[in-house]
Amino acid sequence: MKRAAPKVALLGAGRMGAIHGLNAARNPRLDLAYLIDPREDSAARLADELGCRRPTLAEALADPELVGVLIASPTDTHLEFVLTCLRANKAVFCEKPLDLELSRLRGAEPELISPTAPLYVAFNRRFDSHFLALKAKLASGEVGALESLNLISHDPAPPPPSFIPTSGGMFRDFTIHDFDVAAWLIEEEPVEVFAWASCLVDPAIGAAGDVDTARVVLRYPSGRMCTISNTRRSAYGYDQRAEAYGSRGMAMAGNPRISTVDTWNEAGALAAPLFASFQERYAQSYRAELDHFADVLAGATKPITAYVASRDALILAEAVGQSVRTGRIVRVNDI
Amino acid sequence: MLHVALFGAGRIGAIHARNAAAHPALSLKYVVDPQGHAAARLAREVSAEVVAIDDALADPEVAGVIIASPTGSHLDQCLRAAASGNAIFCEKPIDLDLARARAAASALTGARLLLDFNRRFDPHFQALKRRLDAGAVGALETLNITSHDPAPPPVSYIAHSGGLFRDMTIHDFDTARWLLGEAPVEVFATASCLIDPAIGRAGDVDTAKVLLRTPSGKICLISNSRRSGYGYDQRIEAFGSAGAARVGNVTLSAVSTWTEVGAVADKFENFFIDRYADAYRLAMDHFAQVLEGAEPKVGLNEALAALALAEAAEQSSRIGAPVRL
Repeated sequence: MKRAAPKVALLGAGRMGAIHGLNAARNPRLDLAYLIDPREDSAARLADELGCRRPTLAEALADPELVGVLIASPTDTHLEFVLTCLRANKAVFCEKPLDLELSRLRGAEPELISPTAPLYVAFNRRFDSHFLALKAKLASGEVGALESLNLISHDPAPPPPSFIPTSGGMFRDFTIHDFDVAAWLIEEEPVEVFAWASCLVDPAIGAAGDVDTARVVLRYPSGRMCTISNTRRSAYGYDQRAEAYGSRGMAMAGNPRISTVDTWNEAGALAAPLFASFQERYAQSYRAELDHFADVLAGATKPITAYVASRDALILAEAVGQSVRTGRIVRVNDI
Repeated sequence: MLHVALFGAGRIGAIHARNAAAHPALSLKYVVDPQGHAAARLAREVSAEVVAIDDALADPEVAGVIIASPTGSHLDQCLRAAASGNAIFCEKPIDLDLARARAAASALTGARLLLDFNRRFDPHFQALKRRLDAGAVGALETLNITSHDPAPPPVSYIAHSGGLFRDMTIHDFDTARWLLGEAPVEVFATASCLIDPAIGRAGDVDTAKVLLRTPSGKICLISNSRRSGYGYDQRIEAFGSAGAARVGNVTLSAVSTWTEVGAVADKFENFFIDRYADAYRLAMDHFAQVLEGAEPKVGLNEALAALALAEAAEQSSRIGAPVRL
């Protein structure tokens, strides 16, 4: 007899919750049974669409058949929900970042570093087929030994100013992905960081105490380097590239486009535009990371990113924030 | 005809000699180089005469000099040419020592000096500049310049090159200044010797990442390597409020091939002699205009500013902190 798919719950009916919820509902290896979110309107609509019930968190966790929880609540609630679910012995899929406060995250280290139930923190770029192909090229040795990395990560348009104060700032909210991609590709812990950042896109972002444009340089013990280009507004789509320079060549992950159609006319050559949002650009990676979570629930694999990856990325976010504030190089060990 | 003399019959001297000789308004009269053999060979090729520097400068028919000698001689020869009233076409950099170059500035202020930052004359980079000036991407916010050489120069060259920042990044400093339209006031650089330990033993670096910042908060990132392993990688991306503009690499041909292993585009132009061949010709065209009375588009101020950025970058990488200009 075919075993039933493991029962999971979704916590959070916002933008990320909708993405993970729809993917979970369509994934035959998961049984999305519950949606937990106190916001009546949006939660009822999404629950209806996903065909799930809406218990309280306590009720859901009390269900002995429930084996996993997808956490896509507001970032500042991630850690508390993660701990609650782990204590109830439920496997956890948590949207990045695990927390915005490094000291608080470190305080929870004993429970998170070897958790009683599996914990996966969703750094989705590790599942993107383009970045995976780049990683495979580097592993194949086709470009020799990796020497430096230039990451370009430009959002199409800034989030609403109301999001900025709760975001933890650009480095914790946005660059955090690039810190993790760098760690994944270069496989070495940086020793020093330096960054400059400006508010060039929207003065309201600056008024909220944040920046919207940055260049970051990470330096590794081996002398290798990684640069990160960030802006909150590209005006031409979601620009997500990685250039890896090696001793025998370079491998570049470029931008997929909404179609392969190029047009030539009197004005020149026009390529189809880049994807306009992360939802579209990374749709495949969001599905793939749920497959990974299904593998984790089946006991077939361990989560590829959890507490350590989250902590290390958050350390870099803090170090970079400090560098921008002080105008100095910050040693990672000092964070 | 406007008569000119060439100082320096090395690799870059030969490029300028051929371009001057082929120019309809210019006549390359003299080749000057203490290495007689090289001078004689080049002079024969371009139908010029080999003379001593004093003789070339004393000839009232000579209206301009092209300085393509070793970098250490540039400044001295600029001063001598200026003193004899010649217009000057000088290879970059003007000198390896900022203090010395600044001290010489007053003697060069009135001179008609064209500093050959070849990228300013490259049709691709010029097209980018025109797009930016036309507002094609809105207000410029950030710039990423990728400048990777195919292979490092011999270590014997490194020793008297002035170091990566003065020798190689100097081009990118000038390009950044030109495109940003605003003078950078702060520099940060981090650099390593990853390619050849002999470069490190010669006291230099071969891989660097540099940041420049302007008063309005514009940021420029420069990526440098002395060895790409895949050709001469020369790209610029300019990010603005309404989009981005990119200059890609020029390939040897427009042919791509598809096979079982994937799509293969042709290689990049091998090195600066090939990639910037048009730029060198256009720079010589501009020198002919200067000889006819035009203001040089790139001169002493640009030479000093790029050198100041190079010194600041070197200092930054040494002390591990940003340096204000």
